[in-house]
Amino acid sequence: MRRPWIGLVLAAALLVLLDAGLPHVLNPYYLTILTRIGVAVLAAVSLQLINGFTGQFSIGHAGFMAVGAYVSAALSVYLGAGWLVALGAVLPVPLARALYFPVPLVAGGLAAALAGLGVGIPALRLRGDYLAIATLGFGEIIRIAILNVDAVGGARGFSLTSAAQPAADLRYDGLGAIYAVVALSVLVIARLVYSTGGLAFRAVREDETAAESVGVATTRVKVEAFVVSSFFAGVAGALFAHSEGYVHTNSFAFLRSFEIVVFVVLGGLGSISGAILAATVLTAAPEVLRGLGEWRMILYSLLLIVTMILRPQGLMGQRELGPLRWLATRPRQRHAAA
Amino acid sequence: MPLLEIRGLTVRFGGLTAVAGLDFSVEPGALVALIGPNGAGKTTAFNVITGIYAPSSGSVRFDRKEIGGVSPHRICAHGIARTFQNIRLFRSLTALENVRAAVAAAQRSGLRDVVRGPGWSQREQALEERALELLTRLGLERVADTKADALPYGEQRRLEIARALATQPRLLLLDEPAAGMNPSEKEALRGLVARLREEFGVSIVLIDHDVAFVMNLCDRISVLDHGEKIAEGPPEVVRRDPQVIEAYLGNNGESA
Amino acid sequence: MLDFQQLMQILPQQLVFGVTLGMIYGLIALGYTMVYGVLKLINFAHGDVYMVGAMTGFYVAHALGFAGHPSMVGLLVTLVCSMAVCALLGALIERVAYRPLRGAGRLAPLITAIGVSLFLENTGQVLFGADPKFFPPLLESREFGRVGALSISNIQAVVLATTLLLMAGLEFVVMRTRFGRAMRAVSFDAPAAALMGVPVDRVILGTFVLGSALAAAAGILVGLSNPKIDPLMGIMPGIKAFVAAVLGGIGHIPGAMVGGLVLGIVETLVSGYLSSTYRDAIAFVVLIAILLYRPTGLFGSAQTEKV
Ligand SMILES: Nc1ncnc2c1ncn2[C@@H]1O[C@H](COP(=O)(O)OP(=O)(O)OP(=O)(O)O)[C@@H](O)[C@H]1O
Ligand SMILES: [Mg+2]
Repeated sequence: MRRPWIGLVLAAALLVLLDAGLPHVLNPYYLTILTRIGVAVLAAVSLQLINGFTGQFSIGHAGFMAVGAYVSAALSVYLGAGWLVALGAVLPVPLARALYFPVPLVAGGLAAALAGLGVGIPALRLRGDYLAIATLGFGEIIRIAILNVDAVGGARGFSLTSAAQPAADLRYDGLGAIYAVVALSVLVIARLVYSTGGLAFRAVREDETAAESVGVATTRVKVEAFVVSSFFAGVAGALFAHSEGYVHTNSFAFLRSFEIVVFVVLGGLGSISGAILAATVLTAAPEVLRGLGEWRMILYSLLLIVTMILRPQGLMGQRELGPLRWLATRPRQRHAAA
Repeated sequence: MPLLEIRGLTVRFGGLTAVAGLDFSVEPGALVALIGPNGAGKTTAFNVITGIYAPSSGSVRFDRKEIGGVSPHRICAHGIARTFQNIRLFRSLTALENVRAAVAAAQRSGLRDVVRGPGWSQREQALEERALELLTRLGLERVADTKADALPYGEQRRLEIARALATQPRLLLLDEPAAGMNPSEKEALRGLVARLREEFGVSIVLIDHDVAFVMNLCDRISVLDHGEKIAEGPPEVVRRDPQVIEAYLGNNGESA
Repeated sequence: MLDFQQLMQILPQQLVFGVTLGMIYGLIALGYTMVYGVLKLINFAHGDVYMVGAMTGFYVAHALGFAGHPSMVGLLVTLVCSMAVCALLGALIERVAYRPLRGAGRLAPLITAIGVSLFLENTGQVLFGADPKFFPPLLESREFGRVGALSISNIQAVVLATTLLLMAGLEFVVMRTRFGRAMRAVSFDAPAAALMGVPVDRVILGTFVLGSALAAAAGILVGLSNPKIDPLMGIMPGIKAFVAAVLGGIGHIPGAMVGGLVLGIVETLVSGYLSSTYRDAIAFVVLIAILLYRPTGLFGSAQTEKV
């Protein structure tokens, strides 16, 4: 456990390498589900920063995913396809693709972060449930606004096939690369909150007045949480758009936002591991239960109710597991262990 | 030149005047008590000094700068820290984390903490050392990894003081630190407060109900009643002031 | 685009539609706001109770033979049955999904609320089928009255009258009965009310019963005016009614009605004059505009925390 990030980087490299072979071993159905789990994990962990660590209550996260998904998709369709073709002419195609795909992810993230800033600054005047409903409202407004933009398909949805460059394959569903992005993002968030400076997030969650009194600029911390969280929600949206190859605003309705809130609360507010666990289990559950036919969603909802009653603090409480736990320990103990 | 100088401070909540035309100052290195019956406006005065409420009128100067209406975290950066009457710790964080949060409040989390370049780990450890040292000086080193809300009451009060000191204040405001303590704990607290002034070189304002408690501890006592300062001076003088006796015995029968 | 004169001509008619819709939002919003008052819980399952109300009405009307024979009596019996069923359902939901989490923080019950909502929607799809059903015409639609060019149908009149009656009833219960007093006490300060001997759990249960019955009534009234019903019909009105409750100041009973009316009118005008694609967004635009201006809704009082 000397340097966990070395391990993570190695794992990521391994996963990227796997991408070449994976489609030959796993059937596309599993690949799709695993991809969706990755997207759900990133969405959940990013929301955990706002809801679990900063103690604010946002229930409009899907709106930021939508911004990331649509901005990245539009970028790819209108500009990226050309770049990809040009790059492909001078570089081997896999390399060209590996170089190109981070671009829409970052663009989607930045666009969502900007939206997060725009929403966060006015919304953070509100408290508690009023903040919650405002974020829900912003999320829905974003979605409906996108629905009315013809350039991204409006109600028809938006397909990642460029009319100008039909040869460019803008879909990117390499599972290893996707998981590498997710892992990297999770690491960034974990390092942010589990540093001495990052205690400011939790101080705001615990007691805003006390936090201010010891010098924490609570409003700025909250805006930061919103912006960083939205950035990664945008990345998750961009991953979603490029792995599915098609986006529709229906994927980002408030029910999707609720789902992410469920991941965060069921996993345990203030636990990154918990968010990962809950997002994984709850994304896989409907698929695992598929054999039950129409009863599966009923069972799913009962599962949700029963788990929450049995573990009101969430699956993990505020605890972490594995490398995340290591990140969350005291600096001195961490050093002693290394 | 006083460190803190309040002039004509008035605070109104709707129709209620909680503080009325208060003049109050603290010299560098002083240990001053602010006493008065329930609802006298003591906590409200603290809340204005620390920026939680803005003055309705009047001025609050700290180190010659006007701080009335400035936001609390900026005031903290100027060098004023406080504790709260009804303890406000970061309850689900450990004692050490409570203090670390205050140590680091000025430096935010950011890219530096994500990238963690060379020297980062040493810096983090140095910050932790500082926090640990504070805990040690307040006798809390054994409970460094205990969650704040699992601590006994007296330790919670001390942890709040440690957290306040972590911001390196020049003025420390203690709001009823002795509340709910038994006589022997109170005695220990008096020792602690006197020591803090020596060791940390801070000026201290201490709120309490009880004249006896602050008697041999403070240089000076100011007495508030109904938002107005009714007496001020050395403890011996204030104790015998008829208006003070009247305020305590006449209004709500609390013993002085 | 219509010219100004035409706009003004259809305005009163639009307002009638808006008020009718707003009354229904208001009825649902009352349930949100009352439950929020006593439990500080956003009961996300409330919209689905409204759906169950409409569905119950459908089956009751068919079973008792009112479907083919519109009459006031039929409507009344259907309304009462549906309100009774939903009152029971509301009580059940409270007992099973919320009471075990009393004192477990505010987010855990929110998740069970989402769970209950999913449960009702999906069970609805299994029991009632996913396809829309058509609510039987319990009243023959005809003109009730007319003022100049403005025409009010008997259905609109029934919706308005029923809502006003129910609201008056609620006002009476809340302001004039022992239960209502207990409910206000719990809303004001539950721990203190408990210390004063108010049976808090019973009051909460009663609040769910009342709120759910009102949602059922809204379900029947919607069935009259907009007969297409399906198991997912509660989602959108549920969210909008919640918005209405927040708009009025959540926890504030008359505020919920006013919020519902504002929302119903604005929404009708927007879809009438601008474009119906923006209809669902406008509720939120109004909400955010009002919250930025008044951070705790129209009638909500700001809670300042004493330090
Ligand atoms: N935020 C507020 N809003 C309205 N009134 C307030 C507020 N804060 C304080 N008050 C009122 O101002 C008056 C002074 O209160 P304050 O808390 O300053 O008294 P105190 O001297 O600290 O009393 P105690 O000894 O009980 O702590 C009281 O009447 C109190 O109710
Ligand atoms: Mg006080």
